[in-house]
Amino acid sequence: MPKSQFIDPREVLKPGKIQFKDIQVNQYNKTIEEEVKIYGKETLMRIYRDMVAIREFETMLNLIKTQNAYNGIEYSYPGPAHLSYGQEASAVGMAYALDINDFTFGTHRSHGEIIAKGLSAIEKLDDEEIYEIMKNFLGGKTLAVVEGKEENKGCVKDLAFDFLLYGALAEIFGRETGFSKGLGGSMHAFFLPFGIYPNNAIVGGGVPAATGAALYKRVNRKPGIIVANFGDGATGRGPVLESFNFSAMDQIKKLWHTTEKDGYNAGLPIIFNVYNNFYAMGGQTYGETMAWDMLARIGAGVNPEQMHSERVNGLNPLALIDAFQRKKKILLDGDGPVLLDTITYRYSGHSPSDSSTYRTEEEIEAWRNFDSIENYKNRLIDGGIAEESEFEAIQEAISKRMTKICRLSTDDDISPRIDLERNPDTIASIMFSNEHKEIMEEGREPDVLIPMEENPRVKKIAELNRYAYDEKGAKYPALRTYNVRDALFEAIIDKFYKDPTLIAYGEDNRDWGGAYAVYRGLTECLPYHRFFNAPISESAIVGTAVGYAMCGGRAIVEIMYADFLACSGDELFNQLAKWQSMSAGLLKMPVIVRVSVGSKYGAQHSQDWTALCAHIPGLKVVFPSTPYDCKGLMTAALNGTDPVIFFESQRVYGYGEQFHKEGVPKESYEITIGEPDVKLEGKDVTILTIGAVLYRAIEAAKTLKEKYGIEAEVIDSRSIVPFNYEKVIESVKKTGKIVVVGDACERNSVMKDMAANINELAFDYLDAPAVALGSRNWITPAYELEKYFFPQATTIIDAIHEKLMPIPGYTPTYNLTDLEKADRSKKGV
Amino acid sequence: MASLVIMPRQGQSVESCIVSEMKVKVGDNVAEGDILFTYETDKSSFEEKAKESGTVLAVFCADGEDVPCLDPVCVIGNPGEDYSSLIPGKEGAEPESIKVEVTVASEKQAEASQTGNIGVIEERLKISPRARHLAERTDADISKAVPTGPNGRIIERDINALLDKGLTLSSAEVAAEKTAETVATPVAVPEAEYEDVKIPNIRKVIAKSMHDSLSNMAQLTLNTTFDATQIQAYRAALKDNAESLGLANITLNDMVCFGVAKTILNFKDLNAHWLDDTQMMRYFKHCNLGVAVDTPRGLLVVTVPKADTLSLNEFSEAAKQLVSEAQSGSISPDKLKGATFTVSNLGSLGVESFTPVINPPQTGILGVNTITRRVKVVDGKDVFYNAMGLSLTFDHRAIDGAPAAKFLKELVKNLENFNLLLAK
Repeated sequence: MPKSQFIDPREVLKPGKIQFKDIQVNQYNKTIEEEVKIYGKETLMRIYRDMVAIREFETMLNLIKTQNAYNGIEYSYPGPAHLSYGQEASAVGMAYALDINDFTFGTHRSHGEIIAKGLSAIEKLDDEEIYEIMKNFLGGKTLAVVEGKEENKGCVKDLAFDFLLYGALAEIFGRETGFSKGLGGSMHAFFLPFGIYPNNAIVGGGVPAATGAALYKRVNRKPGIIVANFGDGATGRGPVLESFNFSAMDQIKKLWHTTEKDGYNAGLPIIFNVYNNFYAMGGQTYGETMAWDMLARIGAGVNPEQMHSERVNGLNPLALIDAFQRKKKILLDGDGPVLLDTITYRYSGHSPSDSSTYRTEEEIEAWRNFDSIENYKNRLIDGGIAEESEFEAIQEAISKRMTKICRLSTDDDISPRIDLERNPDTIASIMFSNEHKEIMEEGREPDVLIPMEENPRVKKIAELNRYAYDEKGAKYPALRTYNVRDALFEAIIDKFYKDPTLIAYGEDNRDWGGAYAVYRGLTECLPYHRFFNAPISESAIVGTAVGYAMCGGRAIVEIMYADFLACSGDELFNQLAKWQSMSAGLLKMPVIVRVSVGSKYGAQHSQDWTALCAHIPGLKVVFPSTPYDCKGLMTAALNGTDPVIFFESQRVYGYGEQFHKEGVPKESYEITIGEPDVKLEGKDVTILTIGAVLYRAIEAAKTLKEKYGIEAEVIDSRSIVPFNYEKVIESVKKTGKIVVVGDACERNSVMKDMAANINELAFDYLDAPAVALGSRNWITPAYELEKYFFPQATTIIDAIHEKLMPIPGYTPTYNLTDLEKADRSKKGV
Repeated sequence: MASLVIMPRQGQSVESCIVSEMKVKVGDNVAEGDILFTYETDKSSFEEKAKESGTVLAVFCADGEDVPCLDPVCVIGNPGEDYSSLIPGKEGAEPESIKVEVTVASEKQAEASQTGNIGVIEERLKISPRARHLAERTDADISKAVPTGPNGRIIERDINALLDKGLTLSSAEVAAEKTAETVATPVAVPEAEYEDVKIPNIRKVIAKSMHDSLSNMAQLTLNTTFDATQIQAYRAALKDNAESLGLANITLNDMVCFGVAKTILNFKDLNAHWLDDTQMMRYFKHCNLGVAVDTPRGLLVVTVPKADTLSLNEFSEAAKQLVSEAQSGSISPDKLKGATFTVSNLGSLGVESFTPVINPPQTGILGVNTITRRVKVVDGKDVFYNAMGLSLTFDHRAIDGAPAAKFLKELVKNLENFNLLLAK
């Protein structure tokens, strides 16, 4: 919606046609003579070696999986092994052209890519750099296993080869010496110092993250490109298609430069490299489950550049190297993104348990005739480059090396697992990084357009009353009162002027200022690349933030309604939540997901899904509802390194500060995530609130006191994960009674969870079981009927009367009896 | 034919007894008259003897268990005999006492809330952990609580209501509970030159009662003596003729008691109960005279009802019977309550003066002391005589010093002129 772009009906309504450029298919046709001239024998032989290393690695795993033995080493491995046997050339060809600064992202089938990119990196780094990397990794534990062996003495690159194979295999076998201390495993292995970014067990799951990494490179002007490796089946997934569009969205080239000092208008530097092996597990993408006929066609539907899409013969490593070199140049010229349809074929099943019922022996045999390694070898022999014996020697050396690595990786003494007997908190200690890091990249000035004090919103806020009431206790007019919006804005703009890596995006963020005007005023001071409108692509919005953080940046993304969390399920629950711990703490995830909880807008715009987020280990979840708490918690979230799902309620954006009598401080301050706050003291009954229901609880407390002489203590949970129960238990010791109330549907809600915990922790002090009170297990009805759905002040008093302490003279409005409860449960409502 | 041995009901006010010790176990052969088990109320302990010979087929109670009266304790019969038909009462009998509460609870509950049900369901008391803890701390009598919580649950405020009304557990029940706790947590004690002996329940009852008495009342004691010449002479005469006249062995103490019973009705503040709960004094038309008895288990006070209506001989016989029952431990708890004034005698042990402790809610107690030789001036000459000491402790809340002294003075006069008193 930028005003700079005029949508001219005369242009838009003109007759015409869309014209496509040809998409090249398998056009590589260099002769062996040309190739020798380009690469030289040594490199050509090394390419062969790398392919053989991958095949031997996968062969070894296949034998371990199917026969529990490899070259005399017996071992049983029950975990996953998705092998790329047959696809070796595609991995080596991909990695060859990449530098250390170029990052790869992979899939569940990416052992080959790790080895290929690792060997490529080893080739490009000098010995000292390599040794430094290995020595510093996990305190040298991994290196210690392979160092000092006779066969790699004196040769750092040889040692690094062992280190790479061992680190990957130990990771697959769940060993503490593995690349992620064995906490990632086969499908999540990676090694950042070699530019190998995480693989991903969710089909297409790594693609938004890779796009986010490209965003990081682009926004922060970092050298290098991103290669998102994934399979043909993943093109059936929304997040992948969202990523295509996100990476190619018009604004990156058309608008982002307009606010850059030097007119930098490059597209996202990313190659979407599809290993098209024709099968998504057993579903045949070509001819059965997909519609594109040739995958490269997708590019034509994404942008006018057609994503520079091309089909390449991935069975020929040299064809792929050629393609990657050409495509990388396109990215470096600023014209990304690129889509590559890399043809390959796996002989092995999806996994060792796959008996290939979906294809014929004839088909597999036919592809064996195009076997990448055999054909490559024969071509070199036929071209007189090398003799059979040279290839045999390479094969023999690799086999020997792999046997050694396998032995080391399966030895429990040499490669122990993390000891959860002796250190039972090992995994608990890496679920969150809990670091305090105000600036993610020191020494770089944040890119801003004007000094903060010149910002019109900042100036306006300076005139507002930071406490809702005047000296006489009268409420200031809304327009003169500092509110929740202002509090969030203040915390966020402050960070924008400190942390150069901070970016914020979501739907309708720029110009509009966010659907609820929290961001109003940011447009004036931030360049496009730090603050932009995202497409309606919740998967890409959250998924890119994950990749952005993996690379070292900090991001605030916004989900306009909590209901839309469902559209970014994998990105929130499998990616954002898991990567810190799956990487054994090597990755940090400073991402704030702002989530607005609605009301008035019916069933798909009024849901409080705190419970979904709280259920998933690895996410911090907060839900403040006062200006003071919003600013303090947002600041804490922005100073931390953990993913925080920051729930906000649309009911209270305009509320002033009613509790913190000193008013909301102008300077920056933090509220520790996890600490609830006593908003009103009382002695007879405790009301613990989650979110905006706080104000209805205060209203209930008022009625209880005035009409019935009951003094309620109101505690605002503010945070959900983590949560410190101390204050709540203290209160329950005093009152003996507690109702936990929130706006979420009651079944399996945070209220239920907290009530259950309180019952456990304070049983002996309770006068009745802690009561959880939420909304009905219905759809949200029309605004006018909401009082029957969301808990009201009356509902809270009803619950106290019905479940905790019958109030003499009180007649409940709603039916909260046990009988009704049992009946509702029976009916599932 | 097997027979069921039940927990006897010892007096109308006793709802349950504690099994002190089961003397038999399943398989034991018992002869008629063998002791099956001993049991105790808060005031006395008893033995239950086998009424027939046979084999113990079942035992339902353990030592220390609080067993409702009339509940089965054991079964005696022939080995192998089926006695199952004898014991359905276990479930039937118990709720009888609880049903009363149920009714009360539901009525009150209906007032307090329309949603609740009843406080006791399926023999289980519904009480919140918080309320239970409060009750334990304060000895509130949960069985008297009117539940006002959801579904008829007793909640904290219900216990507070009990405490406001002063409805606490009787000491024996508390003691029983505490005993159970002590047993449950044995503590390793290093070998020492002393012996830790569990305080018997009766001792605890005495302790509580005496401590309450001294801590809650404004007690003070007046001492005096009287010339015992006449009662000693009268006793000597009785002793000589007791057999021929069919009289009891009337003691000096009986005579003092008789004197008290005949005198006290003129001093209604001393023949009364001070009722703390209701802030009332209860005056009695007759004197139910409590007589303190030293028993092997400790101090017991037996009550001679309407002592003021009895002749000296009647009184003496009644008292003797009660004392003997108390000393053997077979006395009904009903005979240990209801006294309006008490007499306690340490004179036989040579005590010259003491401060007897009042049994609440009574307002006075008379201590009877030993006889000493004293001198008094009669017609200008020193005359030796036998003087018997009297120590009157009274509750100054209920009666002032002067009226109490007047009672003593009249009692002295009556005892010194015992012959005249007998004529009254």
